Order: sequence, then C-alpha cells, then structure tokens
Amino acid sequence: MPSVRDLRDRIRSLKNTQQITKAMKQVAAAKIRRAEEARKRARPYADALAEMLADLMAAVSSVDHPFMKPGNESAPAGIVLMSADKGLAGAFNSNVIHAGETFARGRSGVRYYTVGVKARNAVRRMGVSEHPTWPLGASKIVTAREVANRVAEDFVHGTISEIVVVSQKLVSMMSQRPETRKLVPVLAEDLKAFAGTDTDQPAAARGAVEFSPSPEFVLSRLLPKYLEFTLYSAMLETDAAFFAAQLVAMTNATDNASKLIDELTIAMNNARQAAITKELLEIVGGAEALGVE
Amino acid sequence: MADGIAFKLVTPARVVFDGDATLVIAVTTEGEEGILPKHAPFLAALKPGILRANLVKNGASSRLELATSEGFMQALPDRVTVLVDEALAFDDVVVAEARERLAAATERQKGAAGGSDAYAREQAAIDFASAQLRLTGHR
Repeated sequence: MPSVRDLRDRIRSLKNTQQITKAMKQVAAAKIRRAEEARKRARPYADALAEMLADLMAAVSSVDHPFMKPGNESAPAGIVLMSADKGLAGAFNSNVIHAGETFARGRSGVRYYTVGVKARNAVRRMGVSEHPTWPLGASKIVTAREVANRVAEDFVHGTISEIVVVSQKLVSMMSQRPETRKLVPVLAEDLKAFAGTDTDQPAAARGAVEFSPSPEFVLSRLLPKYLEFTLYSAMLETDAAFFAAQLVAMTNATDNASKLIDELTIAMNNARQAAITKELLEIVGGAEALGVE
Repeated sequence: MADGIAFKLVTPARVVFDGDATLVIAVTTEGEEGILPKHAPFLAALKPGILRANLVKNGASSRLELATSEGFMQALPDRVTVLVDEALAFDDVVVAEARERLAAATERQKGAAGGSDAYAREQAAIDFASAQLRLTGHR
C-alpha cells in the first residue's frame, strides 16, 4: 500500500497537470472563435467566386484548360495531406494521416505534399524524406498560393496524375472527420456544385454576360484561383477543426484528472486514518503492557 | 440607390470595401475599364494595378484608390464585385517592402523562361509591387 506521502505527491502532480490541461482548454476555446471568424471572413470571397464560376460555366461549353483534362495516367497521384502543426488533440492528426494512407493504398504510386508539421513527420516516417512541405501555422494565404502553384505545376508537367486533398472536416464542434477530395482534374459537376451553393441569382436569369477578353481566358485564370482558394479554405477548416479537437481532448483530460484526484484523495485519507489508528493501537498496547491505569 | 451601385471588394482574408459607388475603374487584362451604374453584365480578368472608385455615402462623395493584385471583376446592372488576392490602401503600403519585392521579382524573372507560368507569376508580382509604389507616389 502506498504511503500517505506517495499519494500526496501524486495528487500534487496531477493537480499541476490538470492546471495545464485546463489552460490549454481555455486557449483552444478562444482560438476556435478566432479560426471560425477567419472562416467567416473568407465566405464573401467564396460566394463571389461561386457566382463568377456560375456565369462562366453557363457561357463556356468546353474548356481547353489543363485542369479540366485527365492528367498523365502513368504518373503517381498527388496527395496534399493536411494536418495541424501540434498535437495534444486526441486522434486528430493520426486520423487524417491514416485517411491519407488509406487513399495511397488504393493507388499504384503517390507523391506527397504536406501542410502541417505532423503530416510532414508522418510522411517522413513512411520513408519519404524529401517532399514538398509547408507549415500550417504561417500566413495561410501565402502558403495556399505556394501549394497551389506547386501542385498545379507538377500536374501540368505530368509529374502527378491528379491532385487530391486529404484534410479534416469540421462536422461540428464535437466531431471532425477526415475527408478526401479530388481537386484536379476539375470536374464540371464539382464546379457547378461549388457555384450552385449560396448563389442568390441563377446565371441563366441574367441573360448574356460580356466577358473580357473571353470566357475561356477568364476561366483559365479563375481555375487556379479556385484551386488556391479551395486549399486556403481547407487550411482554415483544419485550423478550426484542430482547436475543436483539442478542446474536446483537453476537456476529457481535465475531467479524467479530476476523477483521479478524487480517487487518490480518498485513498490518501484512508491511508492516513489507518496510520493514525495503528499509532493509537500501539500507544494503547504499550500502555497496557506497562500496566498504566 | 438611384445614382450609385453596390460595390464590393473582397479578398480571401476579408471584405475590403462594401458600399455604394458611382464609378469603379479597374485595370483589366485588356486595359482600364470603368463601370457606371446600369452596366450590362460583364466579367473580366484583372491585372495588378490601381483600382479607383468614386464612392457615395449619405450623399457625400469620396474617392477610393487601392493597389490591387491579380483578380476578377464582375459587373451587373446594380452591383460590382471585385475579387483580388490583395488590396492595399495608401496607408497599408510599406514602401521599403514593395521596393524589395519588386527587386526580388525582377531578379527571379530573369531566371524564368519567357512565356512560362513562372515568368507570368513574377510579372504579376512586379506589376503589383510597382502599383503599390505608384499609389504612394514613389514612381
């Protein structure tokens, strides 16, 4: 049986841990709010982009853009694997990495592009030491642009056959789910689905739209932006989902610490009482042996 | 509003401007394009440059001038939407930084093959940086 002192030390250390997890929980809660605000600020851009795409899709019948054509079949698939930079968020990072691996197993070959330190480390552990990687935490717009340029270039040059993004989707504050999405080659249905959401005015009702210089040219400019923005919003979502996962993980950790502290406190009280009783019995026993009245 | 159009300027990070304007002038790939109220539906690709707008708010008019990067402009009879990566007002421009970027992009462009994507990208960076300098009266 552990001594009173051992138990007291353990309780003290648990309380320290609990203080840390509690602080991290509060920080995560504040950061979710910030991440959600960033997502909200990106929404007008998404809406405007969607509306322009709707006009373009209505005007253009066939597009001669590399993004709309099937890629080099013999090349490996390009996976943009997105994780957080840090851990302490339950299975958040390992879930998304696992989803990436599951996708990779279905392909003959893959080429990784990672966003987030955890994804980078995981891919390195798979034995791929050299691969393009970016941290998630830095300026996200700039990172999204760099990632988009890089994967677009590799796709156009035939280094990769497709561009797939694997990232965490924020289903609700309580749950996140890894999602695998094929971005390039862009399917007309995908664009229509993107354009269809949140468009208050269907393009058809607008009549003829004049394009400068031509619808094909504008679309060829818009498609890379669409890729860039999709990556950007996936990064924002990863950020928000990470803090949501961390909030849940830290809430659980704090609760578990409380439970353990309660159990250990009872054990400590028992041990202390046992020690006192034992001491009393010794004194009484000693007094009786001496024959003190 | 009878004499204005709803003008919205958005970047991925934020809505830079949302209000009424009587005139919006942006640099498209084909040259400067001015949008007045009741413009026919129009969609253009924008080059990095200086975007100008005459704004109206409660009857008072003012001018808006921003250095913008590549983007798009959509005009409808009652509204104009401009979509760019970045839009900087006079006060947002850091001259030393813009100069540095201009020099760096010019340098990088020399290494890129003419007509390639990389070349075009550096050209956009050069145009954006010089638009910032022009906006602040440095060039």
